[in-house]
Amino acid sequence: MDLIINIVLGGLLIGGIYSLISMGLSLQYGVAKVLNIAHGEFLMVGAFITYWLQQNGVDPLLTIVVGGPLLFLVGFILYRTVFTSIRLKAPNTGVYESNSLLAAFGLYFIVQNIAVLIWGTTPQRFSYLASSVTILGEDFNENRLVATAFAVAIGAAFYLFLERTRIGKAIRAAAQDPLTAGLMGVDINFVLALCFGFGAAMAGLAGVLISICYPITTTMGLGYTVIAIVVVTLGGLGSIPGSFIGGFILGIIGTGVTYWEPGLAVASYYVIFIILLLVRPKGIMGK
Amino acid sequence: MHILEGEGVTKYFGGLAAVSDVSFYVDEGEVVGLIGPNGAGKTTLFNLISAALEPKTGEIRFKGKKINGLKPYQICRLGIARTFQTVKIFGNLPVIENVRIGSLFGPFKGLSTADATREANELLEFMGLSDVAYAPARDLTLAHQKRLEVARALATKPTLLMLDELMAGLNQTELIEAMDLVKKIREKGTTIVMIEHVMKAIMNICDRIIVLHHGKKIADGTPQEVANSKTVIEVYLGEASDAGN
Repeated sequence: MDLIINIVLGGLLIGGIYSLISMGLSLQYGVAKVLNIAHGEFLMVGAFITYWLQQNGVDPLLTIVVGGPLLFLVGFILYRTVFTSIRLKAPNTGVYESNSLLAAFGLYFIVQNIAVLIWGTTPQRFSYLASSVTILGEDFNENRLVATAFAVAIGAAFYLFLERTRIGKAIRAAAQDPLTAGLMGVDINFVLALCFGFGAAMAGLAGVLISICYPITTTMGLGYTVIAIVVVTLGGLGSIPGSFIGGFILGIIGTGVTYWEPGLAVASYYVIFIILLLVRPKGIMGK
Repeated sequence: MHILEGEGVTKYFGGLAAVSDVSFYVDEGEVVGLIGPNGAGKTTLFNLISAALEPKTGEIRFKGKKINGLKPYQICRLGIARTFQTVKIFGNLPVIENVRIGSLFGPFKGLSTADATREANELLEFMGLSDVAYAPARDLTLAHQKRLEVARALATKPTLLMLDELMAGLNQTELIEAMDLVKKIREKGTTIVMIEHVMKAIMNICDRIIVLHHGKKIADGTPQEVANSKTVIEVYLGEASDAGN
């Protein structure tokens, strides 16, 4: 029983961060139609920005205000330069999606190689809010609770932004039909770049939160990209509640499998992924 | 005054001239019908005007200003709106949300959220869609979806409205309602260009008719003139009269 409580709580405490990463990918893939293989690299960069600032005496949680906006800008500019021209040159959506996937692959290598040059490949970690808290008889580090709370708060704030604001409506319209949204007066290139930027920012913020809980390496990105792809498929592409449900489910499953045999965690994600594609390809909340 | 003018507009798809050297004008306040057999280039011409496509040669002017080369959202904000032959609504969004997007982004200076909601409600009332305002747009009947497209287009505050086969697939009652609707929109002062195959509607509503065939303009005149034009009769009835012989 204790073991189950430990696995479920532990899963929930990593699931919040998974949700945040996946919301980012959901925006980039669901709206901007870029299956961003480099998504995890933005996360890694966010984590190392925090590490670097922390080494220079900045409180890690404060680095959220640097990592988020900085990666938003990088994502926005990247979309406006690279992906917008791929989109405009492609004769149809299919060609655009496959070409942007290839471009994202390139981006993955570029970002990772530069990061390895700067920070090397040795795992880094720092200690932050490391005292332990007891929940239902199980001990967890305080930093994991803080990180989960931040991840859920950022996700909820973004959900409200999409539901309530003018730009949020433009994003939802663009997600359904970019051409028609354009004819309704929505500047599509701008809105899609915003989505890609928000996606990069969410990866960056997730990176910040991961760095305060776990050791980080410059090669950790791809693992998180895989998690994001599985969670997005599990929750339903383009659905924010879906990202949360999917993130928590995968967190719990991953924690359980890791407890039993750590080497099989990634394999278990893929098993879930393949079963989903066969049974319910549109995901739990998919429309 | 010519609100919309085209001069030598040409568009190729591969080697095929979908629209070939077409010149036309639309006057302010007019209702102009655009007709022609399938594949004549009517929808292509709409796509060229609304910037979904760019002409290879020629110029399209709106209120005297060249508009080819602009982006779709810029065309929309200048005051041109359109509907589609096959409806392109935002199916997952509620009906009212579809209209509000038009109000929020379409006019040159978009409305505030509260004004957009009020205006969307008025438009839905005008179009007779108030009862289904909160239903997901995909659940509506085809006739209602077509009305929703018109409501959404009107929300962008167009001075020129382009309707692509609004009447196609409607039953007799719906057809009469749709014709009334076009007349009501015109009374508000909106200029209308409509592609239509339903001759009864075209003859009834339009001030002037432009006929396309194989991408070329073959006639341009009042419904009477076009109905009596020898070329038009040949294009439309050629096969039928051959069969009669």
